[in-house]
Amino acid sequence: MKKSFQIELFDFFFKSGIENYVGVPDSTLKHFISRALEKKKIIITTREEEAIGIASGMSMSGSNSVVFMQNAGFANSISTITSLIELYQIPVIFLIGWRGYLKNDAPEHRKIGKIQPDLLKIIELPSKVLSEKNWKKQCIWAMKKIENHQPCALVIKREFYD
Amino acid sequence: MIRKEAMELILKKIKSEPIISANGFISRDLFELKEKNSNFYMIGSMGLSSSIGLGVALKNPKKRIYVFDGDGNILMNFGSLVTIGSIKPKNLIHIVFDNSRHASTGGQPTNSKFIQIEEIAQKCNYSSIFRVKNKQEIIKVLTKIKTLSGPIMILIKISHGGKIGNRIEIPPIEIKERFMKNLEEI
Repeated sequence: MKKSFQIELFDFFFKSGIENYVGVPDSTLKHFISRALEKKKIIITTREEEAIGIASGMSMSGSNSVVFMQNAGFANSISTITSLIELYQIPVIFLIGWRGYLKNDAPEHRKIGKIQPDLLKIIELPSKVLSEKNWKKQCIWAMKKIENHQPCALVIKREFYD
Repeated sequence: MIRKEAMELILKKIKSEPIISANGFISRDLFELKEKNSNFYMIGSMGLSSSIGLGVALKNPKKRIYVFDGDGNILMNFGSLVTIGSIKPKNLIHIVFDNSRHASTGGQPTNSKFIQIEEIAQKCNYSSIFRVKNKQEIIKVLTKIKTLSGPIMILIKISHGGKIGNRIEIPPIEIKERFMKNLEEI
């Protein structure tokens, strides 16, 4: 997703009332994260689970969060997502960068990249993949989810090599 | 002094302030000693009580927020000390019950007996740290922290053992809902 779309994406969430952006950086999401840094609304954590914990505390205080991470970190966090976010039904929007979407992405990302959609399905976390065309519609869907106190995930494909 | 004895003393000083308690026997002891709406009992997600506590503390700056943590728990999420120490919430009181054991899984040893967890917290910019090992010291520290600002860590050396507390019977969604309602009211 190009820089201009990622900035629009952040601004959409910000205007929609998402107050906190907590997570571990990912190159696929770097423009989104830069925007959050610019707006001073960000907490960069040491691990993804930690970010999920902080966002949970904020959500329970009535202040909603986007938790951003790479899908490697998402895979690390599965137990936390099932035993905290899903068990207690804490509304959090996950924004996940999908490494390994391209078959020839770096070797360390291939396996998780291949099973990324299945992982989301298996843990029953409702999710949508964002594109430059559909992102707004999917974000409105995500906002509705958290308004109904449900967690969800938005995924951005890594469509370039570096 | 076992965990329950230490916890009982602390609970005498906590009224309606929120407590986030780590999974395992820590939450079970709290449930047995002083069940109330302002307790957030963790069932799973080991290691994250201090992170949840940080999130709650940042959004409720007028209230003191207590985290009841264990040595096994904090060793699993040491990064949390870095994040807490970087943001420095003034209202966060981080209590670690340290028996150098994974008590809930059968009492296997942790490596906390070889290190000083509270000194690591100090190096991570906690405002005050305390290491206590008996009831008199707990009472003294609880009086002292009344006028101190956080983040504060109180590490309490406890002995392993004691009767296992009952499982928490409240459904997780209810634990969350009443905790949230309580936060709104304060």
